[in-house]
Amino acid sequence: MSVEFLINALAAGLLIGCFYAAVTIGISISFGFLDIANISHPAFVIAGSYAAYLLNQGVGIDPLLSGLLLTIPFFLLGCLFYDIYFHAFEQHGREGLSGLAFFFGLMFIIEVVLIMIFGVDFRYVEAGYLNSTWRLGFLDLPLRLLIPSLVAVLLFVALQLFLSTTFQGRAIIAVSQDPSALSLLSIRPRRIKRLAFGLSVASAGLAGALLIMIQPVEPSIGREYIGRVFAICVLGGMGSLPGTLIAALLLGVIESLTSSYYGPAWAPAVSFTFLLATLTLRPRGLLGR
Amino acid sequence: MDNRIAIRNLSAGYGAVRVLEDVSLDVASGQTAVLLGVNGNGKSTLIKCIMGMCKPSAGAIEAHIDGQPHDLLKLTTEEIVDLGIGLVPEGRRLFPKLTVEENLLLGAYRPAARVKRLANLDFVFETFPRLAERRRQPVALMSGGEQQMVALGRALMLEPKILIVDEPSVGLAPIFVARTIDVIDQLKRVKNLTVLMAEQNFNQAIRVADTGYVIVHGQIAFTGRSRDELNNSELIRRLYLGA
Repeated sequence: MSVEFLINALAAGLLIGCFYAAVTIGISISFGFLDIANISHPAFVIAGSYAAYLLNQGVGIDPLLSGLLLTIPFFLLGCLFYDIYFHAFEQHGREGLSGLAFFFGLMFIIEVVLIMIFGVDFRYVEAGYLNSTWRLGFLDLPLRLLIPSLVAVLLFVALQLFLSTTFQGRAIIAVSQDPSALSLLSIRPRRIKRLAFGLSVASAGLAGALLIMIQPVEPSIGREYIGRVFAICVLGGMGSLPGTLIAALLLGVIESLTSSYYGPAWAPAVSFTFLLATLTLRPRGLLGR
Repeated sequence: MDNRIAIRNLSAGYGAVRVLEDVSLDVASGQTAVLLGVNGNGKSTLIKCIMGMCKPSAGAIEAHIDGQPHDLLKLTTEEIVDLGIGLVPEGRRLFPKLTVEENLLLGAYRPAARVKRLANLDFVFETFPRLAERRRQPVALMSGGEQQMVALGRALMLEPKILIVDEPSVGLAPIFVARTIDVIDQLKRVKNLTVLMAEQNFNQAIRVADTGYVIVHGQIAFTGRSRDELNNSELIRRLYLGA
C-alpha cells in the first residue's frame, strides 16, 4: 500500500463527499429547518436522474445543463407537495407520523412510476468529457466525479449565501423556531416553508443529474441513500449547512478509505459507528445550533 | 399624522369562557395608553384581538393609520402588522438560535421597513449600545433584560406607527423594569409613536401613561384621563396599593 494509493483514496472520498453534500443539502433544509422528514428526498433525486437521462438521450442536452434546467420544475413540484402536505397534515397538527407515512408512500410511488416507465435496467448519460480523466502527477481526477463535485460545491455556496444574506433566507432559518412569531413580523410562515421546501426539492433535481453523471442509475438506487443522507444531516448538526458539508466530506473520506483498505462491505458499518460515536460526544452534531 | 386605535364593545372568549366583556377603549394618536390589570383579567386577549390572533365574538376594532381607517377584524395578523402596527409580544418570542442582528433584520422584512433597515438598525444600536456589542451573539445566550432590548429593537425595525407592548416587565429585574419603561417612553417621543402598553407593574407604567385603563374580570373598571386621575383612583389604591 503506497502513499499514492492513500492520496487517491482520499481524493476520491472528498469528491464523492461533495456529491453526498449535494444530495443532503435538501434534507438539511426540509428536515433541519422545517422539521419535515422528507424520506422521499432520494426518490426525487432519482427522478432527477431519469429526467436528465431523458433530456440527454432524447434531445441530446448536456446532463449538467439539464441539471440546472431541472431545478425550475422541481422547485414547482416541491411547492406543490408542500401545499398538499400542509393541507393534509400540518394544518391539523398531524405532521408527525402521518407526514412520515405520506413521504414514505410518495417514495414508493415515485419508484414504481419510474420502474413502469423505464424498467429496472441501469441507465446512463453521455457527454464527451465524462470519459476523460485529469492526471496531476500520480493523482487521478476522473471528470465524471470532479465536475459533479464542483457543481455540488457551487450549489452549497449558493444556498448558504441565500440563507445567510437574504430576508427570505433568514426567515427560513427562523420558521421552525417560532412560526407564529414570524406572523408578527408580517412574514407568512406557510409561504416561507413552501419556498424552503421548493428549494429543497429543486436541489434534489440538480443532485439527480449529478448522480447519473457519476454512475448508472436504476429506480430503486435511491434507497441506498436514505440512511446515508439522514446520517450526514444529523452528523453535521440540524440547521447547519456548513455542518452538512463537513459531515458529507468526512463520510465520503471514511467510506473511501474503508472501501480501499478493507473492502466496500465495511463502509456503512464504519460510517454509522462514526455517526454514533460523534453523537455520543456531541449530541447536537458537529456544528448544530 | 393620525395614528390611533378605537375599540368598541368588544367581547371575546375561548369556548364557553368569556374573557372580555363589552370593552371599549381608545389609544389616541401620539399618546401612551396603558392597560392595567393583574394576570388573567384579559389584557393579553385584548392585544391578541387587535393583532388578529383571536377572533372576538362581538364588537369592533378600528385603526387609523396616517388618517386612513382600517377594520382590523377583517385583516390577518400579517396584514395588520403591514399597516404599521408592531407588537412586542409577551415572552418576547425571539428566535433563540439566531443572532441579535439576524433577529433585528427579520423585523425589517416588510417592504416599507426593508428600505429603511440600515438607518433603523443604526437607530436600534444607538438606543441599545449593548446590542451593538453583542450583535453576532445568539439571542439564547443573553440575559432577560438584553432579550427585551432585542424584542423592542425588532419591533422598531418594523417601522411601526403604532407600537403595542405586552407585559414588558415580566421576567426582568426591578432595575431593568424602570429602564425598559423609560426606553418605551423615549422611543414614543423620538419616533412619534402611538403606544399601547399592557402592564401589571402599576407604579412603573403610570409614570409614562397619558391614559390608563384598569381591566378587572374582562371589563374596563376605571378610565383615568391623566396621571393624577390614575394616582387618586380609589379602585387603583385598592387593587394595587393595598390601601
